[in-house]
Amino acid sequence: MLYINNLSKNYGSFTAVNHLSLHIPEGDLFGFVGPNGAGKTTTIRIVCGLLKASEGSVHIGGTAAAVGSREMKRMIGYVPDFFGVYDNLKVKEYMDMYGSMYGMHSRDIAKLTDDLLELVNLSDKKEFYVDTLSRGMKQRLCVARALLHNPKLLILDEPNSGLDPRARVEMKELLKNLHSMGKTIIISSHILSELSEMCNSIGIMNRGQLVTAGRIEDIMRHIAGGSRIHIRIVSDMEPAIRILKEHAGVTVESVRENEVIINYSAPEVEICALIGRLIQNNVILTGFSKEEGSLESLFMQLTGGAQ
Amino acid sequence: MKIRLNPIVKKDLQVTVRSMRISWGLFAYEAALTVAFLLALLVIQAQSSYSSGNVYSSLVYLFPVVAVAQVFIVALYVPIITASSISGEKERQTFDIMLTTSMSPFSIVFGKVMSAVLRILFFVAASTPIMALSFVVGGLSWSNLFFYLLALILFSVFAGSIGIFASSLCRKSVAAVLLSFAMYFVVYFMTFLPVLYFSIFGRGKYGESMLLLLWNPVVFFEEFFMQMMSEESLFSMGNRIFSRNQIGIITYYLSNGKIWMFVSAGCILLLSFLFMACSAWKINPMNSNPGRRSGKKKAV
Repeated sequence: MLYINNLSKNYGSFTAVNHLSLHIPEGDLFGFVGPNGAGKTTTIRIVCGLLKASEGSVHIGGTAAAVGSREMKRMIGYVPDFFGVYDNLKVKEYMDMYGSMYGMHSRDIAKLTDDLLELVNLSDKKEFYVDTLSRGMKQRLCVARALLHNPKLLILDEPNSGLDPRARVEMKELLKNLHSMGKTIIISSHILSELSEMCNSIGIMNRGQLVTAGRIEDIMRHIAGGSRIHIRIVSDMEPAIRILKEHAGVTVESVRENEVIINYSAPEVEICALIGRLIQNNVILTGFSKEEGSLESLFMQLTGGAQ
Repeated sequence: MKIRLNPIVKKDLQVTVRSMRISWGLFAYEAALTVAFLLALLVIQAQSSYSSGNVYSSLVYLFPVVAVAQVFIVALYVPIITASSISGEKERQTFDIMLTTSMSPFSIVFGKVMSAVLRILFFVAASTPIMALSFVVGGLSWSNLFFYLLALILFSVFAGSIGIFASSLCRKSVAAVLLSFAMYFVVYFMTFLPVLYFSIFGRGKYGESMLLLLWNPVVFFEEFFMQMMSEESLFSMGNRIFSRNQIGIITYYLSNGKIWMFVSAGCILLLSFLFMACSAWKINPMNSNPGRRSGKKKAV
């Protein structure tokens, strides 16, 4: 769906985006993650035609349309991180205005407005003035506005920033709903837990470079390289540590009081053999748990704690 | 074929008519014109009583006084509206969304100028009773009023295009308004400078330098009012102001006030178009300098 090739953006000597190449398949809900200043917004603005790239190209849906062209703009629905409103404009008028800006007919706009407001749960607010809506409602209205011209790609830049927990949940549900409808969505966010729940693939940016991108499970498996296992021991620690160190594929990471943390890179079925060997050597185990990898830990690992 | 209204014009008008500012603006506009009308009437009456002349023959001067007051208000008001239009959208952070739609930058700019022109036409329409009064008692025809309206629309487009150009260059509305008035100064006064220079230091280029005045709306309105009131022209008054022998062959033909007016109207329209085209070029993100930050301050 979206092909970004060797994209760079320089501001004088400062490089905001450095030779970024990325492919997002159709139907993906892609999470763009990175610390502040990583280059996420710059990349998004280039894709949306709001910023000129210093180098590289962007293509959507296999077309050769140039960034910023009318054809390209028709394929993108953009939701910025800040929602600006016009005083004295009603919700339906707001939708009508943007529909007209896409060259749509009033009749089509009216019908689509009803459907989209229902989708974002704002049907009862149609006659309300936009500036009287809550921030969460405004953000959902902005999503409805971005969907009005039925774009192939929906891009949301920090859609949850400044929203209260309830509004965040509503936004998350809305995006999941859109994803299930087959929309290709790119979402940039700092809230990693939400991204890990919503997205099926992610791209992590740091200092203008794409550190990694792909399916979340693949990245976790590839980056972590193995599993971290916490072993709780109530007997003498010495023999236990000796056995663990002797076992192939095991690296002892840390030893605390009654707990050893190991990194295990061998096949998971061999964990049973390790437990058996510890028990045979009179090591008394009270706990044996595998640490689940999280997007947060992965992010911290890849960006060096830059967040 | 159905004519489609520019969405920006539609939105701006919707937003404007619901605002209390339009009511206060109308009130101020009408009040200013009424004051101009009454002052002119007072002066005409006073002069007539001193000279024991006929007050009715002097009432014809009510029209230029009220009309000039109206042109002056338009000159001040339209750039303020348009100068804050693009920068206002940037301040409101709605400009980026606008740019991601299918609308071309020129349509956005044109829509902004047209909404300012339509807004000023509200005011002009509301001032019709006062203007009509000066026509009725001043003895001018309705066709004069029609051509005056056309001239006012042309001038509004020009003033609006200067404002929008300033707005496309500045981030803040206040800076854009100040810049648009500075640009006014350049167009109005700097076009006089070469004429002044050649009239004092060298007669050779005197006539050609006067062609610059074709681009000056002040001279356009001067010719317009002179044609309307006396059918004379500033350029055909012989030795009194500009001698025909001095002004050169090009301006000789243009010394006919009507021809000057139409050519000048074309020049002002062309200048307005150039300002709008430059604004459209400036707001198009694809034309921005790749080395400079544009749009939001925190673009990363």
